[in-house]
Amino acid sequence: MMNSRVTRVPLALAAAIAVGISMAGCVVGGGYYDTDAGYDTDVTVGYSPGYLEPYGYALGGWGGGYRLGPGRGGERRSPQGGHAYRSAPASRGTPSIPHGSRGGSQGGAGRPHR
Amino acid sequence: MRHAPAIRIAIETLMHHLANFLRNYRAALSGGAAIALSLVAASAVAAAAFNPPPIADAPTREHHVGKVIWTELVTPDVAAAKVFYGGLFGWTFQDYVAADTRYVLARQDSVPVAGFVQHRIRPGTKREPAWLSFIAVQDVDVTVRNAVSAGGKLLRPARTYAPRGRQAVLADPEGAVFAVMASFTDDPVDDLARPGAWIWSSLLAHDASVDAAFYQTLFGYDVFDQESEDGEDHVVLSTDDYARAGVNTLPADAVRRHPRWLGFIRVADAGAACARAVQLGGSVLVAPRVDRHGGQLAILADTAGAAFGVMEWSVPDSSELP
Repeated sequence: MMNSRVTRVPLALAAAIAVGISMAGCVVGGGYYDTDAGYDTDVTVGYSPGYLEPYGYALGGWGGGYRLGPGRGGERRSPQGGHAYRSAPASRGTPSIPHGSRGGSQGGAGRPHR
Repeated sequence: MRHAPAIRIAIETLMHHLANFLRNYRAALSGGAAIALSLVAASAVAAAAFNPPPIADAPTREHHVGKVIWTELVTPDVAAAKVFYGGLFGWTFQDYVAADTRYVLARQDSVPVAGFVQHRIRPGTKREPAWLSFIAVQDVDVTVRNAVSAGGKLLRPARTYAPRGRQAVLADPEGAVFAVMASFTDDPVDDLARPGAWIWSSLLAHDASVDAAFYQTLFGYDVFDQESEDGEDHVVLSTDDYARAGVNTLPADAVRRHPRWLGFIRVADAGAACARAVQLGGSVLVAPRVDRHGGQLAILADTAGAAFGVMEWSVPDSSELP
């Protein structure tokens, strides 16, 4: 009898919390403002990342040597120095994009699940 | 009644802690307890707002900080977007409509590949639709704090969406917008993208060196400076010994250009993709051109004007390409 009562209390508490949160959720809804460039100023109800690009900017127009894509791996590096970032060691060639599973039924040996 | 920030923040904080608890201890919980806690989280968050679907159908048990793991198109016409992207890449779609949100999950070969979000653009607003890139992080809140400390700007506060995960939208110091996500279904595995899936991300910046340093602070990237023929800085950002993205200085004579992320979708033939895009009502912003990897890439705009790239990536002796 005592055990049953002890079990019921946390269950009832959890249920009350769930109901309370759900009811609170009904009244708060979603919505946010932002006035930054690339964001509109509408109040958004519900889900939206809200991202819009500024209108009228151009893409392209760069010269023939302008390269945006990845290499196949091991490409030559430019002389290092004078950068704001920490450059990878010169001994390392530039890696390429993922090109196949590294093995395992779950698709590879990337960092394990946190 | 909609504007009750204190209540909303309290709910989101509670959900955040609950989500973290579930993520860290789900293996130790009994099945019943995990389901009960998940139901509490799901019911509460579902009541508070529309929840976008997860980015994968099942957990991958992999995590790749710094990898672009998701993209979302914010557009005023998701129906038109379905026609365009379905016709161009063969994507199929699943609609989610709830309250004031219309969301479409796009699949490529049955695998989730992108989301479309209906978003009104007010007449006279100088804005156009865009693709938003989500980068994987371990802890969204820590990343947001680091980003702000490093000169970035928080545009959408961190928020947990069950069952997707926790995410926030940021702008880098130059104003390029990106999102970060800790996905509840982990991160996509590091396989070569199939045709019709996202294969590459490129950041166009006024100063690639400074911007690369910002992203290195956030995601711990290894940064590889590239030899270039144009005299501009081009670097590759890498984690797990894979190239994740490029950062490219915009040419000095670039006027009316602004920093932005640009995603590329793998295609078998960039020229054919351009022709098909035009047939479908889109436009070609940059004609096909040979790039560093020896294949062609091009930049297109969909019927509403959202820009994206297409890129060839040939695999010798592979049966995956026609």
